[in-house]
Amino acid sequence: MARVVILGGGIAGHTAALHLTRMLGRTNEVVVVTPNSMWNWIPSNIWVGVGRMDTEQVTFPLAPIYRRKGIDHRQALATAIHPEGTSDDHTPFVEVTYTDPTRQGETARLTYDFLINATGPKLNFGATPGLGPDGFTKSVCTAGHAVEASQSLAKAIEKMKRGEPQTIVIGVGHGTCTCEGAAFEYAFNVEHEVRQAGVRDLADIVYLTNEFELGDFGVGGLTFTQQGFQTTSKLWTESLFRERGIRAITGAHVERVEEGVVFFEQVDGSKDSLAFDFAMLLPPFRGVDLKAFDADGVDISEKLFAPNGFMKVDADYTAKPFADWRAEDWPKTYQVPSYPNIFAVGIAFAPPHQISQPRTSPNGTLIAPSPPRTGMPSGIMGKLAASNITALIKNGSKAKMKTASMSDMGAACVASAGSGLRDGSAASMTMYPVVPDSVRYPVTGRSVADTYGEIGLAGHWIKALLHYLFIYKAKARPGWWLIPE
Amino acid sequence: MDATDADIAAAPLPTDKTLSARQSVVVQFGRFLAINLKMFKIIRKDRH
Ligand SMILES: Cc1cc2nc3c(=O)[nH]c(=O)nc-3n(C[C@H](O)[C@H](O)[C@H](O)COP(=O)(O)OP(=O)(O)OC[C@H]3O[C@@H](n4cnc5c(N)ncnc54)[C@H](O)[C@@H]3O)c2cc1C
Repeated sequence: MARVVILGGGIAGHTAALHLTRMLGRTNEVVVVTPNSMWNWIPSNIWVGVGRMDTEQVTFPLAPIYRRKGIDHRQALATAIHPEGTSDDHTPFVEVTYTDPTRQGETARLTYDFLINATGPKLNFGATPGLGPDGFTKSVCTAGHAVEASQSLAKAIEKMKRGEPQTIVIGVGHGTCTCEGAAFEYAFNVEHEVRQAGVRDLADIVYLTNEFELGDFGVGGLTFTQQGFQTTSKLWTESLFRERGIRAITGAHVERVEEGVVFFEQVDGSKDSLAFDFAMLLPPFRGVDLKAFDADGVDISEKLFAPNGFMKVDADYTAKPFADWRAEDWPKTYQVPSYPNIFAVGIAFAPPHQISQPRTSPNGTLIAPSPPRTGMPSGIMGKLAASNITALIKNGSKAKMKTASMSDMGAACVASAGSGLRDGSAASMTMYPVVPDSVRYPVTGRSVADTYGEIGLAGHWIKALLHYLFIYKAKARPGWWLIPE
Repeated sequence: MDATDADIAAAPLPTDKTLSARQSVVVQFGRFLAINLKMFKIIRKDRH
């Protein structure tokens, strides 16, 4: 009997856990270590942030599902990995600290045969002074943050109803942020709500981003075919900004935030500030606070983790200039080379480099969107790890490993631009592959036939449908595994 | 200085016809099927 321990019960870890129990049956043990009791469908936090949904609609308790599926659920935070065990007992283990209210603060060692690190991001608000819910801006990264954002937005709308103009700033709070798509969605949802409230003329909405140009989305932009022409996501996105009257500041690194003012530097080295009444700025991400030790207790964190805290896997991490980046740099199995029984999936794995071209301002400030690892790739990686671990358990070293590189993986993204069954709208996009491959697709790096964008009400219906489908799937209801990642 | 706002001002503005097609239930029902098909194609490609 083998024991698989999964760190993190988010999109990647939860997907891996459900597939592992399906593929392995109950003769093997699947343990999920995750600090929260609730599962959150993070993409719908955007709608919580504008008051269209409440937390109950985007979260549900994990315990009953894990009980039903025979998954050993530990409500705890992993703190250290010991991939070689100790000098006395070489069985690998992880150290955890319980967050479960009945065992709060208790520590334990959990041994494993296979480990999946799916701990996602640490929301690194600390990288920018004054950023985040403990500072002067809001966030929608967790359901709780989104509720606070919605309350603040409601106050701003109230003020506009009393005739007070409001400046609303939405975007990312650091030059190295990712998830620009989520900030974009929130900006357009806020615009939609303000319009619905009849106070659009009193709102100056500004999108503040580290993307060098609009439509970059951290993937270096997209080229679409539309009505017989090739067009860019830049032009397409700018058109939407024009139509909805949203201003934008691009190529920006937020240096600090003070009460009602955001200070930023742009790629050209210019520095400026912007006064705001309401601001939602996403934080930069880094790896969670996990350490690693060898059998003698020596700290080997640098061997397992990149400087940004994400786990190093089977990628080519050689530092090279943008012109030399290759599709093959990207990992295929997400296995840690030095410890092949460890996998890192979802946001937790260290990308070899950005996808979008990084830039440095004349003052030496790095302004470089980090590569997005959205829900679909995260789920695919979780399932891939589950299937490779199953193969390793069943066939040992003869197991044939499956691969899923982001340079050979597509993504479907639906960016909400306003909620409502009749008056909602969203930008639906597909891209293939996520990481451009200049060898297979020399002109644009991606398959033009599979890279696509369209705005309209249908996108909102799809986004709403995905909300219900993915929550159904995450609850492991009958036939859940038929719903693709 | 940032040219983004100038770029936005110069971007194509959808016509009233395009805007109403984007919100028309009938048109969008067709688009719903078409977009799902495109997404399904990507999902199939991902099944290595
Ligand atoms: C506001 C917002 C909107 C988004 N919208 C979309 C969208 O529309 N479409 C899309 O595809 N993607 C979207 N994304 C991205 C998507 O949420 C991520 O791609 C996805 O959540 C990544 O999955 P993950 O499992 O790697 O990380 P997560 O889902 O963040 O899961 C990580 C898990 O690990 C747990 N954890 C953390 N530390 C530890 C530890 N030390 N020990 C054990 N467990 C730990 C966390 O509590 C969490 O449960 C959005 C993201 C945000 C923030």
